[in-house]
Amino acid sequence: MPDLYVESPLAHRNSPERLSIYLREIKDRGMVDLRGIASDKKFMAAAKKVLGLDLPKTPHSSVSWGDVKALWLSIDQWLILCPRAKAAELAAALTAELGVIHSLAVDVSDMRAVLRLEGEGVREVLLKGSSLDLLSGDYKPGAVRRMHYAEIAALLHVVEDTVFDLYVFRSYADYAWEFLLATAREASKIKLFGKQAGPF
Amino acid sequence: MLLVHCPVCGAEGDETDFHGGGQAHVRRPATHDPVNVSDEAQRDYLFIRHNAKGLHFERWRCDRGCGKWFHAARDTVTMEFKAYYGITELPPRELMEQATGEWAGYFKDKLK
Ligand SMILES: [Zn+2]
Repeated sequence: MPDLYVESPLAHRNSPERLSIYLREIKDRGMVDLRGIASDKKFMAAAKKVLGLDLPKTPHSSVSWGDVKALWLSIDQWLILCPRAKAAELAAALTAELGVIHSLAVDVSDMRAVLRLEGEGVREVLLKGSSLDLLSGDYKPGAVRRMHYAEIAALLHVVEDTVFDLYVFRSYADYAWEFLLATAREASKIKLFGKQAGPF
Repeated sequence: MLLVHCPVCGAEGDETDFHGGGQAHVRRPATHDPVNVSDEAQRDYLFIRHNAKGLHFERWRCDRGCGKWFHAARDTVTMEFKAYYGITELPPRELMEQATGEWAGYFKDKLK
């Protein structure tokens, strides 16, 4: 196998300047798309054997074990996160372990771009492109939500209270980046009127 | 604006977060009687849809959520969703009984 060469979809974009939050691209994230039937005990056991974790069955949740994380995408679909260099190996190990069980594991590390948003006010910045109530208790750390963001399909992962990962399909990375540069500008920071109930 | 709820993952959102899939429970004539499919029956299956005033049965997809299809019963006058149910399921019994207009009698054989 040749050495892994990763070209960022955002390699030549403007860098963040005067933003109200901290914004960067995460380039070294491996992603494996895993599909299977959650009620099939053999499937769940095989996944656990390779990943070391029980795939989450609760909608919009995630589970982690070491450097592997499983994000719930649907009742029969999970996005497995791992270090980039490990993704191909992990997908192959899953495929081998799952054998004839009705399932699918594919290395999709190049499918999406990952944008890391960090800082106080990160929820308010994301609100500008979303119809979700990101200030509600549904978006605690660990929460995962596929969403409509700035008119494109995206995946939101609440890493910590003020740290969010936004996954967009690679071809939209440029658009999402520019959208964030515009909406996260220090000068366009929004303040909520009145006292708001905290997110938790 | 419709506020739609996904019965699969619990996501709630307006209709831009979902995808309307048109009339539900459309019956394909060839499934029931593959030998005798009239041109009229095939035409109706492909092109003719109900335009219900009041209770209507539809297919929806949780487009920006879990990606799954589901069924919904909706009042086209008040825009109120009466029920959500699985994509392989029939409407709740009381709604099948309430069906009027073009839907009247549509679920007759399911209510026996
Ligand atoms: Zn859903």
